Amino acid sequence: MKTDPYTLEIIKNALVAIGDEMFQTMARTSMSPIIYEALDFSVGITDARGELIAQGQGTTVLLAMIDSFVHDILEKFGNAIRPGDVFIGNDPYRGGGTHLSDFGLATPIFHDDTLVAFAVNKAHWLDVGGAVPGSFSTNATEIFQEGIQMPICKIIDQGVLRQDILDIIIANIRVPQESVGDMWAGVAANGVAERRVRELFDKYGHEAVLTAKEELLDYGEAMVKHELAGLPKGEFFAEDLIDDDGLGDTPLKVMVKITITDDKFVADFTGSAPQTMGPINNSRTGLTSAVRLIFKAITNPQVPANSGSFRPIEIVCPDRTVFTAERPAPVSTYWETLMYAVDLIWRALAPHVPERLGAGHMLSVCSVVFAGSHADTGKSTILVQPLVGGWGGGDGRDGQSGQFAAADGETYNVPIEITEARYGVLVDQYAFHTEDGGHGEHRGGKGVVLDYRMRTDDFAVTGSFGRFKYPAWGMAGGSDGSPNHLDIIRADGSHEVHGKVTGAKVAKGDVVRMITATGGGWGDPKRRCKAALREDLRNGFLTAEQIERHYGGLGD
Amino acid sequence: MRVATDVGGTFTDLVCYDVDKQSGRVVGLRTAKTDTTYPQFDEGVMNAIAKAGLDPAAFDFFAHGTTVVINALLSRKGAKTGLITTKGFRDVLEIARGNRPDLFNLAFKKPEPFVPRYLRREVDERSTYLGEVLTVLDPATLDPILADFRAEGVEAIALCFLHAYVSPANEIAARDYIRAAWPNVSVIASHEISREWREYERTSTAVLTAYVHPAAKRYLRTLQTSLDAAGYGHAPYIMQSNGGIDTVEGAIRNPIAMVESGPASGVLGAAALGTLLGEDKIIALDIGGTTAKCSLIENAQTRITTEYRIEWSRTNPGYPIRTPVIEIVEIGNGGGSIAGIDAGGRLYVGPESAGASPGPAAYGRGGTRPTTTDANLVTGRINPANFLGGEITPDLDNVHRAFAPLVDRLDGDIGSVARGIIRIANANMVNALKLVSLNKGHDPRDFTLVAYGGGGAMHAVMLAEELQMPKVIIPVNSSVFSAWGMLMTDLRRDFVRTQVVLLAGENAARIEEIFAAMEGTARASFADEAGSGDLALRVQRYADMRYLGQEHSVKVELPDGGFDAAVLAAAIERFHVTHEREYTFRLQLPVEIVNFHVVALGDVPKHDPEKLPVTGRTPDDAMSGLRTVDFDEHGVHEARIYDRDRLEPGMRFAGPCIVEEAAATLVVTPGRTVAVDDYGNLHVHMNA
Repeated sequence: MKTDPYTLEIIKNALVAIGDEMFQTMARTSMSPIIYEALDFSVGITDARGELIAQGQGTTVLLAMIDSFVHDILEKFGNAIRPGDVFIGNDPYRGGGTHLSDFGLATPIFHDDTLVAFAVNKAHWLDVGGAVPGSFSTNATEIFQEGIQMPICKIIDQGVLRQDILDIIIANIRVPQESVGDMWAGVAANGVAERRVRELFDKYGHEAVLTAKEELLDYGEAMVKHELAGLPKGEFFAEDLIDDDGLGDTPLKVMVKITITDDKFVADFTGSAPQTMGPINNSRTGLTSAVRLIFKAITNPQVPANSGSFRPIEIVCPDRTVFTAERPAPVSTYWETLMYAVDLIWRALAPHVPERLGAGHMLSVCSVVFAGSHADTGKSTILVQPLVGGWGGGDGRDGQSGQFAAADGETYNVPIEITEARYGVLVDQYAFHTEDGGHGEHRGGKGVVLDYRMRTDDFAVTGSFGRFKYPAWGMAGGSDGSPNHLDIIRADGSHEVHGKVTGAKVAKGDVVRMITATGGGWGDPKRRCKAALREDLRNGFLTAEQIERHYGGLGD
Repeated sequence: MRVATDVGGTFTDLVCYDVDKQSGRVVGLRTAKTDTTYPQFDEGVMNAIAKAGLDPAAFDFFAHGTTVVINALLSRKGAKTGLITTKGFRDVLEIARGNRPDLFNLAFKKPEPFVPRYLRREVDERSTYLGEVLTVLDPATLDPILADFRAEGVEAIALCFLHAYVSPANEIAARDYIRAAWPNVSVIASHEISREWREYERTSTAVLTAYVHPAAKRYLRTLQTSLDAAGYGHAPYIMQSNGGIDTVEGAIRNPIAMVESGPASGVLGAAALGTLLGEDKIIALDIGGTTAKCSLIENAQTRITTEYRIEWSRTNPGYPIRTPVIEIVEIGNGGGSIAGIDAGGRLYVGPESAGASPGPAAYGRGGTRPTTTDANLVTGRINPANFLGGEITPDLDNVHRAFAPLVDRLDGDIGSVARGIIRIANANMVNALKLVSLNKGHDPRDFTLVAYGGGGAMHAVMLAEELQMPKVIIPVNSSVFSAWGMLMTDLRRDFVRTQVVLLAGENAARIEEIFAAMEGTARASFADEAGSGDLALRVQRYADMRYLGQEHSVKVELPDGGFDAAVLAAAIERFHVTHEREYTFRLQLPVEIVNFHVVALGDVPKHDPEKLPVTGRTPDDAMSGLRTVDFDEHGVHEARIYDRDRLEPGMRFAGPCIVEEAAATLVVTPGRTVAVDDYGNLHVHMNA
């Protein structure tokens, strides 16, 4: 019996809704703020071949991690995939790969003894061992310093937990209670998807669901092709400099050539710097995610992500570049470089899709790790969090202030009241700043300043603040934004300024001041309307001196 | 006489009845509907009273629900508001949580703060999370801020200091100082509205409360004056989002609690109906013109949450308000939802709505795209002769024109497209119903669907089929059901307080102490307040619990009084069970309380509705004719059409059929049986 188009529509909607439900389950049951506040995880379902059907996610950078993880499972386990299995893995260089902190969990879904789908989630664990708490540093030289490496294996084998494998993991990580809790949250989220997928097959039958799935993928492709038709055709170029690799001082040149035709979107990163000694390296899976992210942003941001919607993409990049690093290059701060791949395409295309892209933004997620003992309870704690900052101005609009970087998304800052209770530091301020930058007819959005005052002597801080030397780019005559940086103001008054820092010891009374970028400006500042400038002055977004110097004053 | 009025977006509804003094039974139930009057909502209320021919001097009880708060918020017609925060944190309101739910939209725009930066000011004061005051506020430092606020024409001030949920002393000092210095300004301190941690959510709550305070206060005072002048001798009660009513004084003190009062009273009505009929597991479904709302009720208990937001959507973070609200899932699918085809060839329904103007294509008022209502008309489910209660003749030519592009694209006929639209609208609503049931570990097959609102009866039976629910109930007067719900509520105040305490034996006494103190506060809050003095007060205890290390919590009901080791052990087990039901797993980890939740209830006398007389008519006597109706996969049938006004208790009849009343149409598919109960409610038995 042929299934009518309306029923197929309903099955398609139900498939997409499964991603949402998995996402909610994971967020609600997680043990660590990096998951339940930062929502640094992604969930999704694929078909039996590993084609992405639906994805629910909190961050944008995991778009290629779900399907590629399944591809590796299929390759490695082939016919040994059984009902009741759950696979685990964190290999950064292969399918699903980002950095060791992101653990993948995949549950095969069977219907009438036939493998029909996989439920997958990929989540950032608070700590996966390695040289420093939080497992990311800005100065590792090999992956072996970055934590436990877990090639894909079965953590649950036909319904039986493999305690031996779990014990290996527990023995290698610093806060196993949270991470094991998060692992169970992930298994539960996959379980929700398994039930829902089976219900669909039970209700509508094998053939109807598979037809709906194919249609869903074709629909994704049709939607983006429609958008692709509206994009300018031709070749577009951009290049930029990454501050450094965390070890040396040398900037790294990266570049892209975009070719857009009626049915292809080709991103060629040839000419970008080779992989580095320091941990900013990004793997090929990360590069795929980067291109998918920006492609989605310029085509149709609201269409649910699936493999079909990415069919027009082609990626060209030689092996062993900073975008396509291979073992044993360290990768723990891969996102800095992944976001450069996004930002290069952004920069090349911003003048051509002004309603979807503005000037450059903070770019770095400005991630920090604070590890030490709680001032009141004495218990050891690890705080890992990304920070909000400024976005670029655009055609007809000022940039957004105090918003997470493009790599994040449905990401929540950690409330001050929870930070103080949970980590025992004192927060002095969380506010917009007026560091110079981002001036334009439409100015960049404001970055923030966040001060943590230490109440004990044993905290260490790690932070990766890219775009410290080369700030967010202005466009159409607007000025560049302000840099991201992390300052340490010692109790004795001395003041250090860092772009990247690993394990810096801070003592009671010291203040760690995290300052994020103001976004790039758009258009000649002299053209900014005076009424807007008066509002900026009244609201303290610009100082009188900045208005005088960059905007030609308030006039009469 | 007991009277309830519900001011909605379009209509102001009134329900009233008398109670026979001898028998204690309800007599003379009456309803009235008038247009809502913007912005003087109280005029509409007095109009409804006049239209029903009532004399307020004869009222024994008057309950009132109003959209004045949500209206002020959504239309941005509140007061010019200033905010005062702890030094270093005035930007918390604008930074918000920094999230971008529209993930891939790199031109995303955050919601604008309700208070611009120049009206956000800071004072030197500080408390810790342990409740110690590190820096005592010097109230004189408020003077320059107040002077600036006066000069700017500020009408309301919100205060939110860090950790005021546990240490409100500085907020109290600031509030009292401002009240003394500037008696005419509205002042709201965050801890008065919310005692939960998370400073952005509390700041937002305080700001939105202050923003609506002057308008809400003006409105409630005017209403009270009008009622007094008309001779009403008692205190009116105001419907709250928590499903209870409060006194006028209580509502003025905490006006934001009225924000979702309309939907809440409908859910409460469903709960009360469940109690009356002995149905302990209910899903309430309200289908209106633009949205469908649903909520789950167990043993007459509604689920309460403080995780509420206005203007929230999949792409918009909205604005949080930490006030107790009945948990409702709302989706953009109602009678006016527009159907269309997107660039990828997908047929969709909603969330865009044709609203009342231009309305569905059948209104013939300029609507050019088909809506769910038009599809129901095409399938014959709506009677063209009884369209909008017979007020207008549907413009069927315009309906055909509106369907033409879809018929063309989908290569079908108007009937198949109409069936498709209804099927997709139903699937959307089924998803919402799953969110409140399956998603929380409840099996819909154990529940009865109570459907009301203009579209509830139209879709309910097909939704119940889809979810295999055994029974649907369409209440009497389903179009003014929310107003009736207000007559079935109690006086209710919720007190929620963040205090993180491990559930361990040695903490039992401390937990009891916290609950006891909160109960004292709850009881004291009613003292000497008009309307609450003579009611019997009782309290209920709940705790939001979680595994140590988790953030999100699960609400667990606790027994009243005497929290000891045994209660503690039972509470932990109850938490495990609830967690496992909602999230499929349990952990061998310690459990902690994060929020203490006390509900204070004042029992309001309630009365069962009147039983209808039985005259011995048969269902055939209530039949108004036959009509060809398309029941989709159940086929096309000559369906019997019943006139609800002529039905009486004890009647039973089978589908396929349609039951029509002035403002609603019940569609019953083949194989279902309709039974009329003693009160005139329609029970659709799905399997018999």
